Amino acid sequence: MNAKVQEIERQRVKEGEVLRVDHFIRGKAVAGGAVKYRSRDLGVDFATPEINLNELVVPRSELPPLLDVPLAEIISFLVECGERMVLEKNPYLQEAAERIAVTNPLPRRVIENLFRRARQSLTEEGLRTTIAANFANPAALDGWVERVDSRGQRGALRAYPPRMIHMLAGNSPTGCIASIAQGALVKAINVFKMPSSDPFTCVAMLKTMADVDAGHPVVRSMSAVYWRGGDERIERTLYRPQYFDRIVAWGGGDAINNVIKYTGPGLQLVSFDPKTSISMIGPEGFTSEAVIAEIAEAAATDVAVFNQEACLASRFIFVEGDRAGIEQFCARLCDRLAVDRETASEVAPPPPLDVREEIEMLRVMDDSVRIWGKPDGRGMVILTDEPVDFHPSNKTANVVHVSSLDDAVRFVNVATQTIGMYPPERKAAMRDRLASAGAQRVVRLGTASRHVPGSPHDAMFPLQRFVRWMSDEDAC
Amino acid sequence: MGAAADRLTRLVDAPDRFNIPFTEIAAAQIEALNERFQERKNRIKLLAHRANEAGITQVRSREDMVPLLLPHTAYKSYPESFLIEGKWERLSKWIGTVSSHPIAPIETADITDIDEWIGRLEARGHYVSCSSGTTGKSAMLIASDADMAWSRKDTVGVFSWGSGIKPAQDRRMMGLAPIAHVPKNVVIAEAQRAAFGDPAKEHYRLNVPPITVGQLTRMVVLRKKMTEGTALPEDIAQFERTSRERQETLERAMQEAAEAVVRYRGDKLYVSGLWNALYQVAKQVRELGYAAKDFHPDNCIYVGGGLKRAQLPPDYQQFVHDTFNIPANRHFQNYSMQELNSGMPKCQRGSRYHVPPWMVPFILDEEGNALLPHSGGEIEGRAAFYDLALDGRWGGVITGDRISLDLGPCACGNAGPTVRDNIVRYADIKGDDKIGCAGTVDAYVRGLS
Repeated sequence: MNAKVQEIERQRVKEGEVLRVDHFIRGKAVAGGAVKYRSRDLGVDFATPEINLNELVVPRSELPPLLDVPLAEIISFLVECGERMVLEKNPYLQEAAERIAVTNPLPRRVIENLFRRARQSLTEEGLRTTIAANFANPAALDGWVERVDSRGQRGALRAYPPRMIHMLAGNSPTGCIASIAQGALVKAINVFKMPSSDPFTCVAMLKTMADVDAGHPVVRSMSAVYWRGGDERIERTLYRPQYFDRIVAWGGGDAINNVIKYTGPGLQLVSFDPKTSISMIGPEGFTSEAVIAEIAEAAATDVAVFNQEACLASRFIFVEGDRAGIEQFCARLCDRLAVDRETASEVAPPPPLDVREEIEMLRVMDDSVRIWGKPDGRGMVILTDEPVDFHPSNKTANVVHVSSLDDAVRFVNVATQTIGMYPPERKAAMRDRLASAGAQRVVRLGTASRHVPGSPHDAMFPLQRFVRWMSDEDAC
Repeated sequence: MGAAADRLTRLVDAPDRFNIPFTEIAAAQIEALNERFQERKNRIKLLAHRANEAGITQVRSREDMVPLLLPHTAYKSYPESFLIEGKWERLSKWIGTVSSHPIAPIETADITDIDEWIGRLEARGHYVSCSSGTTGKSAMLIASDADMAWSRKDTVGVFSWGSGIKPAQDRRMMGLAPIAHVPKNVVIAEAQRAAFGDPAKEHYRLNVPPITVGQLTRMVVLRKKMTEGTALPEDIAQFERTSRERQETLERAMQEAAEAVVRYRGDKLYVSGLWNALYQVAKQVRELGYAAKDFHPDNCIYVGGGLKRAQLPPDYQQFVHDTFNIPANRHFQNYSMQELNSGMPKCQRGSRYHVPPWMVPFILDEEGNALLPHSGGEIEGRAAFYDLALDGRWGGVITGDRISLDLGPCACGNAGPTVRDNIVRYADIKGDDKIGCAGTVDAYVRGLS
């Protein structure tokens, strides 16, 4: 479906059609239609089933279905499910992709690419590496692990399955696959709260898993539902330590403030915070035309990812070096932002009104600021001496010319996630100071969206925080 | 000044100004818009840039005007570093890009804060008002002597039309809210007092130090330092101490105000303020044991601004009216904003805001990009206006409000365009369900929103 057709489709749906959103409750799909909502981003109407709150909660008198299922079996089930997550052969995913194209601002082609990539979260190697990185002794997931201290006192330890609510993020449709995998690996009882910009994918994936084995304990441990975020009727009732141990949530602002109200003794929040990513390029980057072309492409890759909707998408590029070379880089970067990529489109939605206004004012004020591109969604580059006040979005890069990258460290803060560095050798010299300033991840320029499996997320190993460490002690 | 624009703005003195059908003045409005455009396109840099980008040299239709309307955020587009680092020369240059009149050069070397900068511009006939945005940046709006004179006249006409009260200088003025001390607010307060206040009776003002732009921006500066991580704990503690003291002063002043209202209960009162302050004072008046029956039967009320996110019980308006004994035909509400120069009073019978003939209303799509087709009836969308009465800056503003505009006659009998009483800010209806991994350091700043 090209952009124009997608637009027509969105229009058709806006004008009256109500999309059906199904729920998935502990292994069974429930057909939607009873409760009507409107999606946040594009204002599309959809209708879910009525939620029966009792069905979302497993009484603590019942042991978790996955408790005694060996991790190896869980992994092989997930891998088998992953093999079915092939967009071309899977009608559930096809249907979800079709519908997300109407509720989510990402273009259809990017959504399809994300679906094609999703199964990479369910490979044997990836899952095993995640476990190995999170747990010193993964056996604690499968049973009680004996230990003895220096005085000969004995004890046993178990990473006990939690009861969890996952508040899924709305900006990356297939992010839920990682949450499903995480929930299964820690053997949790899971409720996935879907976002209004994609109330489809999670259920489509769970239906796929149910087709593999509807009675599998992994499938019976999963529910996926939609309610409007902040709906007190549901959240006040459900978010209690008697029912759940952990709420895993993405984002900040209202979304998190709503959840924080309910956390307290026994109900902990594991939050993946809202983040901004940046790049740093040393003078080596501007020495020749060939190098400039290479780093412009690398920087464009990091800026454009998910049309800059993702936390790891770079927004500020701090540069040190020769002015003429830097300007050449800016022009080249602007060209490279306007190309189709696996997870970015040539023409993204244009920047919001207030951002366009600030950019325009910079243009009118002229003096030291230079601007490449127009606010037409194809990408813009703004060269300044200090970071701009606004949050660059929709494929907008603010290139900040600093006298030394050391000066750029002061612009790194607790919200900084990934820093793409060129030349990569500079990472080692700067990473301690970057960490002290609040950053979490330093990578080679151009690889922000690639990951070494088993790496921490948000400066933590989340699976370790999900489980409940239960202790059995024989102290003398 | 253009002939068509003059004809329309002169209607400010016409008693039937809200009774002119839209169809009768639509052509004159377009002519007037073009006059304003021709006058200012070479004077306002931002407008020139806009016109150039859109390739517009003549305004021949309402559609032509859309790319020339400035979003309300244009007046916040200065970099915060100008305020924080005291770059007054740069700030002057910035405000020069939105001003109709060249900014006279001012000495900036010895300026220590923004209040001084504003004071020096004022001495040269440039009046800078700020929106009292409590979060983040304030909009800075430049106006001229002519704008001040217009505000003085318009505010009296609007209040008189909306409340049915003649300017007879026969009331005791009771100012019950802390108001930002910016030129436009000062001029409006003075004009109201001169028109409706009994010169023999002292004008009561809430006993709090004036809120200056400097005070408003100090918070913005601290917030910026907090996001950068350079604010020290003692800076934050000091700020919170000051805020607490200010809050205590305010609460004391409200108590005094309630006592003053009771003291003057026999007088015919003109009560003014914002809903939140009026509600708090009313509550204390009730606690002192007084209510409607104790007050003059022809009291009136001037309410500025909306709720500004204050949490009040649903019947707050009723409660305020009942307390001060404001008769139903004296309820007054006005739709306007710092970005415009004229008001739109609400009528008593139709409960709709009336758009004067010199104010050209536009209903745009939510994004503010395109004019919605509108030949008759009521339509809903993003409000934009061109206020032909604005002199010191461009009169065309795209607001942050969602409104319903009807071009046809109102139930009250007046034939001009009206706005329904259901105005909401887009900022308040969006973002309730937003969740994602991308975000800014703003989410990490607590206590300053």
